[in-house]
Amino acid sequence: MDFDWMKIPYALLTLFIVVNYGMLQNALIAKIGARVGRRRGIPIWQNYADLIKNYSIRSSITHGVMYYLGPVFRLSGGVGLLLFVPSLYGSEMFSNLSFAGDLILALYFIFFGTLGMALGAAESGHPYAAIGITRGLQQVSAAELPMALAVFSVALQYQTLSVTEIVAAQQGGFQNWTLFTNPLAVAAAMLSFLGSMMRPPFDVVLAPQEIPIGPPTEYHSSYLALMQTNRAIFPIAKIVIYMNLFFGGATIWPEFFLKVFLIYMVSVLVGVVHPRFRVEQSIRWFLVWAVPIGILSIVLV
Amino acid sequence: MVSPLVLIAAPLAGAFLLGLVRCPRAALAVTLATLGLAAAAAGWWVWQLGWAGAEAVEVFTAGTPPPFAIALRMGLPEAALTLVITLTGLLSALHMQDNLAETGHRAMAVLLVAVMAYCGIVLTRDLFNLFVFFELAAIATAGLILLSADARALGAGFKYLVVSQVISALLLIGIIFTYHATGTLYLDGIAAAAAKPALAFFLVFIAIAAELKPFPANGWALDVYESSHPAFSALISAAAGAASLYAADKLLTVGGPAWLPAATAIGIVTFVAGNLLALPQGNDRRLLGYSSVAQIGLVLAVAGQRDVLGEHYHFVAFGLLASHAVAKAGLFWLSGMVAERGLAAWAALRARPPLIFAFATFVAMLAGLPPFPGFYAKWELVRVLAAEGRLVLLGLILFGALLEAGYLFRWFGFALKREPSGEGLACAPSKGIPVLAAVLAAWGLAWQWGDASAQANLLLGLPLLFALAFVLLDWLPAWVKNTLAIAGLAAWFALTLGQYDPLRLIFAVIMLAGGAVTLLASYHAHGRRIGFYPSAMLMYAGLAQLILAADTFSFFAAWEILTVGSYFLILRGRHSEPHALSYIVFSLGGAFLILAGFAVAADGAASFAVADLATLAAPVAPWVFLMLAIGFMTKTASIGLHVWLPGAHAEAETDVSPMVSGILLKAGLFGLAVLLLAMGRQKLGGIDLTLAMLWIGAASALLGNLMAIFQEDAKRLLAYSSIGQMGYALFGLAMMNHLGWLMALMFVINHYIYKSMLFLAVGGVAKRTGTRDMYRMGGLINLMPLSFISVLVGIIAMSGVPPLSGFGGRWIFYNALLTAESRLPMILIFFSGPIAFLYLFRLIHTIFLGQLKDEHRRVKEAPFWLMVPQMIYVVLLIAFALVPGVALRQVDGHLGGLLPAGGLSWDGLTITSDFGYWNPVAIMVIVGIIFTTLFLWLVFVNRRAQKVKQFNIVFAAERPFRPETTHFAWNFFAPYRKALGFLVQPVATGFWNGISGGLHAGADFTRRLYTGNAQTYAVHLLVFVVAVHLFMTGM
Repeated sequence: MDFDWMKIPYALLTLFIVVNYGMLQNALIAKIGARVGRRRGIPIWQNYADLIKNYSIRSSITHGVMYYLGPVFRLSGGVGLLLFVPSLYGSEMFSNLSFAGDLILALYFIFFGTLGMALGAAESGHPYAAIGITRGLQQVSAAELPMALAVFSVALQYQTLSVTEIVAAQQGGFQNWTLFTNPLAVAAAMLSFLGSMMRPPFDVVLAPQEIPIGPPTEYHSSYLALMQTNRAIFPIAKIVIYMNLFFGGATIWPEFFLKVFLIYMVSVLVGVVHPRFRVEQSIRWFLVWAVPIGILSIVLV
Repeated sequence: MVSPLVLIAAPLAGAFLLGLVRCPRAALAVTLATLGLAAAAAGWWVWQLGWAGAEAVEVFTAGTPPPFAIALRMGLPEAALTLVITLTGLLSALHMQDNLAETGHRAMAVLLVAVMAYCGIVLTRDLFNLFVFFELAAIATAGLILLSADARALGAGFKYLVVSQVISALLLIGIIFTYHATGTLYLDGIAAAAAKPALAFFLVFIAIAAELKPFPANGWALDVYESSHPAFSALISAAAGAASLYAADKLLTVGGPAWLPAATAIGIVTFVAGNLLALPQGNDRRLLGYSSVAQIGLVLAVAGQRDVLGEHYHFVAFGLLASHAVAKAGLFWLSGMVAERGLAAWAALRARPPLIFAFATFVAMLAGLPPFPGFYAKWELVRVLAAEGRLVLLGLILFGALLEAGYLFRWFGFALKREPSGEGLACAPSKGIPVLAAVLAAWGLAWQWGDASAQANLLLGLPLLFALAFVLLDWLPAWVKNTLAIAGLAAWFALTLGQYDPLRLIFAVIMLAGGAVTLLASYHAHGRRIGFYPSAMLMYAGLAQLILAADTFSFFAAWEILTVGSYFLILRGRHSEPHALSYIVFSLGGAFLILAGFAVAADGAASFAVADLATLAAPVAPWVFLMLAIGFMTKTASIGLHVWLPGAHAEAETDVSPMVSGILLKAGLFGLAVLLLAMGRQKLGGIDLTLAMLWIGAASALLGNLMAIFQEDAKRLLAYSSIGQMGYALFGLAMMNHLGWLMALMFVINHYIYKSMLFLAVGGVAKRTGTRDMYRMGGLINLMPLSFISVLVGIIAMSGVPPLSGFGGRWIFYNALLTAESRLPMILIFFSGPIAFLYLFRLIHTIFLGQLKDEHRRVKEAPFWLMVPQMIYVVLLIAFALVPGVALRQVDGHLGGLLPAGGLSWDGLTITSDFGYWNPVAIMVIVGIIFTTLFLWLVFVNRRAQKVKQFNIVFAAERPFRPETTHFAWNFFAPYRKALGFLVQPVATGFWNGISGGLHAGADFTRRLYTGNAQTYAVHLLVFVVAVHLFMTGM
């Protein structure tokens, strides 16, 4: 196999850009959330400070091999997901490692980090970790369904599973975006999106108030640093898929930043004005409201 | 030349001689010698007529031809029947020799007279003489009934006398009128007579029919069976039954075709009712009585079909009769060895494994399983009935047979699994010899019928012989047998390797090579493990023959063999008795549908190739498709037909679960693949049947997975997950496109590997912890690291997460969906995927992660030999993930010839479809590099991490109380139950329980007809006579 070794530094460059952007964006969004709640919020560089603090904490424990590997799985999942999908359309430099597989690879690789993280947190022996994981798994199993239907609808629409080809088909003006050519699929996918962003009304997984932060409850120091890095990358990696499938992708970095931010803001806007669902409520909600839209999109495409 | 008269004269002479003998032992010797002589004479005739080419002879007793003297005929049927009668007499005498010696020479004389009378009924060609022999039989029988120690025998004997006198009266009046009308009593003369008096013949016919103990006029017979000495019941059931049936057969020859429908109707009603009424029986001998009644009814129904059976009539009728006679006599003799009368008391047989083998032989023989005569007979019968369009009768016969199999196998399960009671077993040689003789006769007849069959002789099949050899080798230590078994599987695979096309090769690799790998786990068993290897190898023999089967007969035979083998195998589990029963009942129900489907497809052809299913056209084709598909879907446990699976797979032994889950389920998929390849899409009443299968597959996937997440028992969880996985595979096949099939085959391979691996891992854990309830475990990762690795790899593969092989299956699946014609069923499939995560996480979390319980702190890793196959599977999974092309490329090419559109392109390391692409090696490398880099980074920054135990945690500002209360595991997915619990209401279980309960309640209600009162029985007889008369006169 003739492999273009330049792909590696290019991929690392993508990673570097996204990590930094993610750190800043997370802080900005936290700040927006705080302002809605009439609080002052964190400084924009807070995430960097936290990262440095976490790495420099001297006391560190481990509960076993899986516990140790949990954050590694988690971050590998985030980085892998980011790199399996092209970041910028038409750019050889930022097509990353998408030669390895298509959309299906990306969709299933989402679970790689989740599963590894779940295993690691479970080995901590902390019941809150297990409770958080089961809540998350149950919720995501229902939230995934409209997304899967939407993806399928899009694949049927464009007759391909290649992300690059799907983006290519949406070029030539915003009226070609899937958002306008297949609005039902996008509606279903965006409802599903709400379920996977860990914001209200679907944040019972982390449940910061009553079970201190769910799965990561027992993680600290450099483990937490890895997970925090992942929190910067993973949502963006996921949003990149949404952007590519439904919103015409991006050809330059500013377009990328803007679209990612706006898509992210959908979940923030919904989140700041809603209370929280219990798990069974959110399962029902997805099945009753989001799934029929997804089914319609498949039938009508 | 032995005169047939010896059969009459010898017992008479013996009976007279007994009067001169004083010593009971000498009298017994005379009796046995007489019966031996008669049996030898009958045997000689069987040899002469069957093998030496002699012609049938007629004996004119007074030296003149009829009608002036009585004529006897000795042909092959008569010779065979007299042999059955005399041998049963001899062996029964041997069995009850103590009773005979105690009762004295009069009893022996009566026995001899009874045998003589039965022989006479068979031999005579004279109507009045027939009456005389019936009278003799009645008197002798009544005398013998009274031999029993059971107080109820007196009443039974009296009722018998009353009924037989009524029958005699009817017979006599009929004879008088017949003689009046035809002027002869010679049967052939009556047949040739110009005018046949209908009413006279009706009286004769009804009398003989009543002798056959038809429903409902058979209460007296059941009391006789229940209360008389078992050896004598054997004689009544086998010898008297055979003789009366032959008398009926002779009458039907005389009466002509007009009487055949009546015989069929009486027979089939008796068959179904007898089997139905046997269901609630708790007394072994009464149950055998009902079964005898039913079997004789079946043969009578077959006699009523002689017009369509033609040249096959004797093959079928005697196949069924021989099965009945040998097995029923054998069971009655066995019953004589068991001290108590409850069905569960047969657990005492477990003290003597050969007796269990005998019991299994008789049960299989009665149920018409291969390789016994009933199997060949059933095949021919069903084939002919289907060709003639007598489908209602065919359905009733199969329904009755299923009921019969149900209670027989339930009983067998009792014998194997219930606690033996205090009273043991009478194991005197005199009681064992008849049973042994019956077993030998059973296998001899199996050979004989296979030899005479127009189909292949199953006992010549190498795999089956190999499996049966383990019965003889069962004294060897388990590890020797295991080595032999593995070598046998490998050798057969190597021997037949050239005969498989790539599609079959996948199944062959899994069933044979995979079977050998799974058997490695069996090295962990110590001792001799009696019964395991014959059962397991029987299943593998069926599987081996199934893949190679070219015609429908060998396919069906292989199907039944693997069903029986796996039933015995499943039954070995400690608590598997009810689950094994529901397995065999569902499997046989499915098998009967397959049998009927094949028969309808063959349309009377003696041999029908499986591939010729393709030549069928509407309106037959969709029905054949439907029957076969339901039959195969019973084996894959599609939703609705799945209720047998969870218990059967979960309760099986540790190394059996992977066999019946990882390997056996594939037999159903293989059947479906063969069916769909041959028949393609079929429409029935406007419904596309493949579309229906698509929905069933999708529903199985969803509901199987959903049920799995609520299980607390680890093996049950895996079992329900199999239902879901098979649903996926069924869905793939039903898509009827290239990639759908490829995905199904990928599932076949993957499911074999990871499900076998997980069952072994969970079995090993259960062995060490002593429980299968996951919430009782926890934190075992450090104590059982290898088991953990195997479960980890298994769940990653099963969930479809890259980079392991499950992802390949998912990828092909999505590509297949894009070309599928119907989109809605896939919604269910999409939903079931994420649900699988739930149970997989539960499996690994609640067992290996979380808190370690105090009582498990000293648990060791699972036994070595359970780990060996698991580690092989781990390697296989990773290898299959990297280079799926090794297995799939050939199949892809092969499928290209069958379903041309939409294959994959295997260009270098990248696999490309019409829609997308996938490079397994690149994925593995990229994920590996990212993971390793981050891991090294963490090790670097976190090098001073201090190892602490799981319980070293704090929450809510408190230390937790105990590990047991800190492990979150029970009712793991409670919110899911709240949200979607209504989907897993046990509707199917309720439905099947309702059917079973309804049958039992109906049987229990009808059973009350038999009050035990002679007057009621007389009314039954009257009702019977009137009913038959109304039937004959067309209502």
